[in-house]
Amino acid sequence: MTHQTHAYHMVNPSPWPLTGALSAFLLTSGLIMWFHFYYTLLLATGLLASAMTMFQWWRDVVREGTYQGHHTPPVQKGLRYGMVLFIISEIFFFAGFFWAFYHSSLAPTPQTGGHWPPTGILPLNPMEVPLLNTAVLLASGVTITWAHHSLMEANRKESAQALLMTIALGAYFTYLQMSEYSETSFTISDGIYGSTFFMATGFHGLHVIIGTTFLATCYIRQQMYHFTSSHHFGFEAAAWYWHFVDVVWLFLYISIYWWGS
Amino acid sequence: MLDTQKPPRKKRWTPPFDPRFPNQNQTRNCYQNFLEYQRCVKTMSRRGKNSEPCEYYFRVYNSLCPTSWVQHWNEQIKDGTFAGKI
Repeated sequence: MTHQTHAYHMVNPSPWPLTGALSAFLLTSGLIMWFHFYYTLLLATGLLASAMTMFQWWRDVVREGTYQGHHTPPVQKGLRYGMVLFIISEIFFFAGFFWAFYHSSLAPTPQTGGHWPPTGILPLNPMEVPLLNTAVLLASGVTITWAHHSLMEANRKESAQALLMTIALGAYFTYLQMSEYSETSFTISDGIYGSTFFMATGFHGLHVIIGTTFLATCYIRQQMYHFTSSHHFGFEAAAWYWHFVDVVWLFLYISIYWWGS
Repeated sequence: MLDTQKPPRKKRWTPPFDPRFPNQNQTRNCYQNFLEYQRCVKTMSRRGKNSEPCEYYFRVYNSLCPTSWVQHWNEQIKDGTFAGKI
């Protein structure tokens, strides 16, 4: 027997899970050294190690799937399950921050003055930049759907255009949100309002940056002819992740920016 | 302590049941009565009236609230850092 008689992918031994675990250790201990002793070398090494791990691991996945043909239908199904389960875990991650926000804002304590927003907090006007941010992300949801349909119809030009527009909208959101952060009259250390606001919106912003990066790699792969009109799971995974980021923003906008003001 | 800040009868007096706060956690009951007392005194003195009717709230919050909270809030009022709307 010189070849496998099943459709599954027996992955070759790889060092990246080990380097990933080591970089996680460097990241966690690096955070402690930074927080307590203002020492940044461990953290910087950890960030570099985790970035290199991600690059090389996912480069290998692309090699195995696109170049070596290992991603048969059952393998792709497993990858789909994986992405769905990951996104579900991210939903739980954000659920924690929403829980914290609602715990403190639904029954405000005497420390806040018995009301929400707390005394002394001037919230951002939800009808200004936050509303624009909502429009930007909703529009990006439309453009990525357009990109997907163009891809499935083998329309290279439009699929590239729509994907670029999605990336541009994502970058625009990040730019707008960063300028909003410099406009707030409150910081993360301003009581429970500051903590809940910046933890929830901050992690969301990080996920927008991650999603934009994922979309950008899809753009590069598309230009390198990796995707076919019927097989482009990397793109679909990026699109799912992008829609998730959009939905989290909608919850953030309605809960913290609108109801919470 | 003023006469009016003392409870009405010689038996031990406790605040009556307040249906606005029916549950075990009585924090809001304490805080609300503290706020009502401060607001009552402020409004009565602004109108040049005697603040005697306000003493009901005084008795309630002194009965319900932990003493450290009352001391802490009174200090905050003096410093101008009290978070509640008076």
